[in-house]
Amino acid sequence: MKELTCIVCPNGCELTIDEKTLEVKGNKCPRGADFAVNELKAPSRTISSTVKTSFKDVPVLPVRVSKEIPKEKIFEVMKEINRVTVDKRIKSGDVVIANVLGLNVDVIATSDILLNEEHYGKH
Amino acid sequence: MKINKLNEKLNSLYNGKVSAKEDEYSIILTGELESYDDILNACNMAVDKKSHKYVVNNIKLLNEVKEKIRIPSINDKSLDNAHPDVLVIGGGISGTSILRELSRYDLDLLLVDKECDLANQASSRNDGEIHPGVDLKKGSLKQSYVVRGNRMYDRIAKELYVPFRRIGQYAAFCEWWMFLPLLFVVLERKYICGVDDTRLVGRRTLRKLDSRLNHKFTWAISNPMSGVISPYELTIAFGENAVQNGAKVSLNTYVESMDLKDGVIECVHTNRGNIYPKLVINAAGVFADDVAEMAHDRFYSIHPRKGTIAITDKKANYLINTISSVQSVKKNKNHTKGGGTIRTVHDNLLLGPDAVETRYKENFDTQRNSIDNIMAKQTNTVEGLKRSDIITYFAGVRAATFEEDFILSKGKRTKNLIHVAGIQSPGLTTAPAVALDISKMAVEMLGDVKEKTDFNPYRKGIPHINEMSLEERDAYIKKNPDYGKIICRCEEISKGEIIDALNSNIPVETIDGIKRRLRPGMGRCQGTFCMPLVAKIIAEHKGIEIKDVCKSDEDTKIGIRNKGENE
Amino acid sequence: MNNYNTIVIGGGPAGLACAVKLHKNNVSCLIIEREQYLGGILKQCIHDGFGLQRFKEKLSGPEYAERFVNEVFELNIPFIVNAFVVSIEKKDGYTINVSTVEGIKTYTCENLVLATGCRERTSKQVEIHGSRPKGVYTAGAVQHLVNVDGVIPCKKCVILGSGDIGLIMARRLTLEGVKVEAVYEIMPNPSGLKRNIYQCLVDYDIPLYLSHTVKRTIGYPNLEAVEVMEVDEKLKPIEGTEKIIECDCLIVSVGLIPENELAGRIGVLSDARAKGARCDLDFETNVEHVYTCGNATHVNDLVDYVSESGEVVADAIRDRNDSERKLIDIEVKGRCAYLVPEMIDVNKKNNKRVMYFRSNKILKNATVTMKVDDKEILRRVYANLRPPEMERIVVDYPELSENSKVVFEIEEAK
Repeated sequence: MKELTCIVCPNGCELTIDEKTLEVKGNKCPRGADFAVNELKAPSRTISSTVKTSFKDVPVLPVRVSKEIPKEKIFEVMKEINRVTVDKRIKSGDVVIANVLGLNVDVIATSDILLNEEHYGKH
Repeated sequence: MKINKLNEKLNSLYNGKVSAKEDEYSIILTGELESYDDILNACNMAVDKKSHKYVVNNIKLLNEVKEKIRIPSINDKSLDNAHPDVLVIGGGISGTSILRELSRYDLDLLLVDKECDLANQASSRNDGEIHPGVDLKKGSLKQSYVVRGNRMYDRIAKELYVPFRRIGQYAAFCEWWMFLPLLFVVLERKYICGVDDTRLVGRRTLRKLDSRLNHKFTWAISNPMSGVISPYELTIAFGENAVQNGAKVSLNTYVESMDLKDGVIECVHTNRGNIYPKLVINAAGVFADDVAEMAHDRFYSIHPRKGTIAITDKKANYLINTISSVQSVKKNKNHTKGGGTIRTVHDNLLLGPDAVETRYKENFDTQRNSIDNIMAKQTNTVEGLKRSDIITYFAGVRAATFEEDFILSKGKRTKNLIHVAGIQSPGLTTAPAVALDISKMAVEMLGDVKEKTDFNPYRKGIPHINEMSLEERDAYIKKNPDYGKIICRCEEISKGEIIDALNSNIPVETIDGIKRRLRPGMGRCQGTFCMPLVAKIIAEHKGIEIKDVCKSDEDTKIGIRNKGENE
Repeated sequence: MNNYNTIVIGGGPAGLACAVKLHKNNVSCLIIEREQYLGGILKQCIHDGFGLQRFKEKLSGPEYAERFVNEVFELNIPFIVNAFVVSIEKKDGYTINVSTVEGIKTYTCENLVLATGCRERTSKQVEIHGSRPKGVYTAGAVQHLVNVDGVIPCKKCVILGSGDIGLIMARRLTLEGVKVEAVYEIMPNPSGLKRNIYQCLVDYDIPLYLSHTVKRTIGYPNLEAVEVMEVDEKLKPIEGTEKIIECDCLIVSVGLIPENELAGRIGVLSDARAKGARCDLDFETNVEHVYTCGNATHVNDLVDYVSESGEVVADAIRDRNDSERKLIDIEVKGRCAYLVPEMIDVNKKNNKRVMYFRSNKILKNATVTMKVDDKEILRRVYANLRPPEMERIVVDYPELSENSKVVFEIEEAK
């Protein structure tokens, strides 16, 4: 038996999973069961961070991975994220790194802050 | 007390581990003891006010870990071969007020301080009270300056553009029978000591003046001339006005040693070069005896005494409008303890300070029991005061001598030296008056000094937009939009004011430097919102990266690297 | 034109949702934001997990905020940024004086919405002693430095408090190459959401020490270490448990307090339990025409509820009729930490009203009831109630009078 906390939603159900039968207990919804099974076989996470930009008004741009990545790849992906500098005024949702490390996941911008000057004017 | 008798007493108490000898100026204690309390006790026993000799403490503490004094890491030659007429050591209230007074004369003036800002030690770590002097008996130097200093403050505050309010002080008692003894004290202080604003008030008057004072108070000694000022703003203002009048201030400058010849200081070695002053003024606060030692003129000792102060949210300021403290009939030692409750010039309440002897001169650590003691006393003064109203606390160290009085004196053995030492409460009050006398002394010693014709006593301060009328404020913003952009939401400080402070003639381009000059970070959020914003303004102003902005000293950068840079 | 039906002070998730809804309700409004851009604190909350309830998506803070900000842009809802409210005067509605880079601007309105958010408790408020060195920050300040300014403040840090922002920052700093030594929590239970303990600490092998606190900082002018102590059940440090942990940064995440300084200035009363402005079921405060929403009312743990309360206010303003107000207090009993709203205007229609509460203790199988004159109008049994997790209920009140006695109670299972 393995004990887990479900991270799918804020409820944070306390789950137990039988390592052999993969039977899950404690989940309030089916997503919890999926999470527990995944967590046992191939745990994955989303990560959020920032990337450098070449713009003085916005030194860093928030990003995240478009889909969950294998947990053990987190720090490798962070290395890639730290390598990038954004030099175009891209918008939220735009791809910053396509197919990072060949994981079939993109690193995408999660904010329009680079467009702030356009929206608010210069202060 | 005769020295033999003192030695007998020391002998019987400390089994020959300590002995005393005397010279022309001092009673010098040597030996080794196991506890610092014993050292203090031995030194206090040696105090003999009749002989006018000072106690020098050379007693070693067994197994002592020596205090590591913070010194600036800068090493350059920016002051090398300077030949000022006067070198002032110490940028506290004493040093800067003297510098400003001397800047009336046609003199080459230089003030150095090891700290990264003026008023970094005791001058920013005190209660900011302009004392009435009612607690002092006749005979001390403190007493002789206090009323004179107090009365100078209206003019000083106006000239230097520093907020000052005479809000009145009440030293309150709970006992009915105290009427006669108090009346005696009041009359004595009023007519013999010259504290002419002193009067005795009864409970009804007291309640009318400040309705939240403890209901049990029956009598209070009232001194309407007592006031409050921001001590660090005043110190900085003295410094800036002196610079405006031609003086030079060098921060991060540490006096390492001195060369003397025939009782004259010839050269002062610092981390920023060798200085050759005609006259040295020692206003080094807790380090005054160390400076005296370098100048071969150590005839007194400083024993540091820590005081902790708590500041409340402005929301609690309705509790009191004055400076009030509860007095106990039990006899206090010759220094005060526990402090009072003060409505500061910025409308917070200030509680404390207490008084605790410490071995270490830079012991600024606060401790929980100090806050406990302060709260115990002050909740007895003001009803409704809550611990949860406290937004910050800090400690300062008083530069006390064993005689518990100021030393305002020419060097005893060294000729071109003046000591302004042992300055503790009411040193802020006395500073302007002391500065007058010290500058006269200096001018006499230098000989043939002319007064300037173009001395400007007025300092142009930074406008406080939050104190302006809406119309005035609007006009300011129309001239400079930065005055419209509020950076500190708790204290309502604009970007324009911050840039003004960065452009002042003693610019201190740090988070704490801006905090002392304008108060962002002193409000209820304690800088959690504005710190990064202030850092950004400093970075833009200096043309550096945000990560390289310092909190205080030059090695206190707020960032160790930028995002994505290698660890 | 400087007159609006409603002025919303604060352009964070509560204010934005309120303004968008007001606009859709055909009520003219203006948003006043003191920062440079709209979005409030979400601008610096770059982690994901926002909006699961509302948008059924895990958004980052900026993404969540920008959904509303973009609506503000699209609908041309008036707003001003870099605008700081200097004073509020009450005369024929409200007159609001605002400091902007163009000068002091004056606006008038009939209704005022205080969506001013909250602020962090500081290290001084939990009595950490020491010499005020560099390196002691609240979690929010570090979040701003790292996520907005791109500045990494330290090599090795200790976090005090297991609140959500502290946990999020533990993970955030770890990803940026900072060594997070440990998280210390004075209470015997974590104060953040369970899933954050799991995905922010467990995932990165960051130890969490419960019943521990930081007593003092060591070092000046830079932080060199902290002294940590275990505490007993009364939260008093236990002598002899002192431990020195070397670090160059102490991050305190010891709770949030609703920001109600403006509210206080115009006579709005705060609730002793929720710490925010007291309000009726419309989120209207004791001062008529003055509304509160979001974290200014109480500290929410989900932004979805913050926006929801803004929308409740927007609908209330649309439906406003100026019948005389008669406010009664809801009595709170048992294991309830707080209940929001705290009051009922018995002259208003009070069917299907959203309310939020927290328990003051971890409870299993707790019973929650709302009674009007001893008659139960709501009863619910919760398998788990935890203080860090806010609960939302919808209560259908019957017709009430000034003399009605409304009681909310959380009962522990016997």
